[in-house]
Amino acid sequence: MNWYNNPYLKKIGKNIIIFIITMFVLSIIVFIMARLAPGDPLQAFYGDALDTMSIQEMDSARIRLGLDGPIYYQYVKWLLLALGGDFGLSLQYKMPAMDVISPLIGNTLILGLTAYILVFALAIILAVICAKHEDTLLDKILCKIGTMTYFIPAFWLGLILILVFSVNLNWFPSSGAYDYGQAGNIANRIWHMILPLTVMIVSHIWYYAYMIRNKLLDENRKDYVLLAKIKGLTKSEILWKHSLRNIAPTIINLMAISIPHVLSGTVIAEAVFNYPGIGNMAISAAKYHDYNLLMLLVLITGSLVVITSICAYLINEIIDPRMKDVGGTIWEK
Amino acid sequence: MGEIDPAAFEIVGPEYQTWEPEIKKESVSKKLRKLPWIAIIIFSAILLGCIFAPVIANHNPSTYYLDNLNEPPNSEFYFGTDSLGRDLYSIIWYGGRTSLIVGFLGAAIVTLIGITYGCINGMANTRVDTLLQRVVEIFHIIPQILLTILIISILGQQNPISISFVIAVTSWFALARIVRSEVRQIRTNEYVIAAKCYGARFERLVAKHLIPNIIPAIMFVVVSSISACITTESTLSFLGLGLPLDVLSWGSILSLSNRALLLNTWWVIVIPGVFLIVTLSCITTIANCFRKDMNKKPNRL
Repeated sequence: MNWYNNPYLKKIGKNIIIFIITMFVLSIIVFIMARLAPGDPLQAFYGDALDTMSIQEMDSARIRLGLDGPIYYQYVKWLLLALGGDFGLSLQYKMPAMDVISPLIGNTLILGLTAYILVFALAIILAVICAKHEDTLLDKILCKIGTMTYFIPAFWLGLILILVFSVNLNWFPSSGAYDYGQAGNIANRIWHMILPLTVMIVSHIWYYAYMIRNKLLDENRKDYVLLAKIKGLTKSEILWKHSLRNIAPTIINLMAISIPHVLSGTVIAEAVFNYPGIGNMAISAAKYHDYNLLMLLVLITGSLVVITSICAYLINEIIDPRMKDVGGTIWEK
Repeated sequence: MGEIDPAAFEIVGPEYQTWEPEIKKESVSKKLRKLPWIAIIIFSAILLGCIFAPVIANHNPSTYYLDNLNEPPNSEFYFGTDSLGRDLYSIIWYGGRTSLIVGFLGAAIVTLIGITYGCINGMANTRVDTLLQRVVEIFHIIPQILLTILIISILGQQNPISISFVIAVTSWFALARIVRSEVRQIRTNEYVIAAKCYGARFERLVAKHLIPNIIPAIMFVVVSSISACITTESTLSFLGLGLPLDVLSWGSILSLSNRALLLNTWWVIVIPGVFLIVTLSCITTIANCFRKDMNKKPNRL
């Protein structure tokens, strides 16, 4: 088979090239932003010990931290090291940035992924319930409650949950991912995750449920629904088997573009509940002006988002024959 | 759609017609009655309260009443005091000023950048258009809060004006996209081409032809970006990355909430939050009435 003429592989190749260019541009932007920041990184790294260092020592420290030479030279040096997996030293922890972050990525992924799946599963169920009872009291009440939850700032909801359930009722722990020495205990982890998950679900669900609901309502106005009804299918059957199936590509697209949104949610949830994840780390790095760490965090989240959007695009391509080449890249929709 | 007569589905003769709702022109009084008056009244009350904060407040917002730490709401301190001994009732009105200024200023900057970028993007030729879109996409893949804290960490200490700039700079992408797609629909219209033939320059084209035509489409996004800016500001201040404690805002009042959790003083957390939510919901309700009603066809289900 002539593989380079296969349109599917071609598209994958094109997306990989776009991914590489995106990450490259992103790294340049982030690098320049971090280096333009006021304040001497050397001062941040050594603190008061800087005053006792000689000029030679300072120069060699600069070279070691990649701070010598003009900015493009620094960037190329950083990029070559970064390609080998070395993202520089964390100024706050005095150890390689990757080592600081790698134990935390797992925690964030567990929280983020669980929240992501639950948000969309519940959003679809909610949307179907609303669409089934369109314009009845139930739909109106759900819409009102949903809009209310959308206003509540996530961090404030977290505070209220801590106030009610950990401080006063003492049902759930208010911080951490697991009790000391219980890292492998799944039940303990779930117990710690309930409150952060609640915050993330409540603050995200309505946005998506409402979008899916509106899509379903549009879909229900098409003629095939009437045909299905004439055939004698019940409302639920039409909704689950026909309407929902037809808007599945839209939902997958929505899931793809929602990833930065959900990741933003994990940052706030982690900060409120002091959950050891990369979001919490990003905030403490920002407070400490630890740019190497922040840069790495931005690049990791960025690549996560781009990869998932490419996956969503490919999935859509497979499941939906209507999706022919629409031009442009995949995360623009 | 409760009005559909089920009989319409049973007998389908040659004169069968699908049911379409009648479209009536509404009178001015009916339109006025449709406005979300409750939201408007509550929002104006909060707005006036913040503007006339010195009249309403019964204590000095920046005084530490060290004899009255953590007092629950009572007749002297209507909303109680926080762990620094400040009167919550007074600092809420003064803090509302900052929060609302950040909201309005942020939304104004978002609109300015969004419309300018969107118009340039929409009117540009294919190559420039693609390039400009890619720029937006690259910023869009970083979670907004992460981008904001990166910029704040670089800029350091914030004041209300600089924080509205930071928030606006990280949240105009969605608006720019909507403006772009609207402009691309409009730009092939005859009147735009005619204006171009008369030699109208880009600025005139944008001001006289594009902006008046895209306003209905972007009004909802513009108004709700006020509440988005207020939320972001309060989140950042709560995280300790926004406004410092002595610059009063609803967010910076809440940044004391960790201490309030330890002391179990609920009023420090609940009262500023309620003000925040009421304001946000009023703004969004007002924004909602700018939305165009969707053309609803009858439901087939």
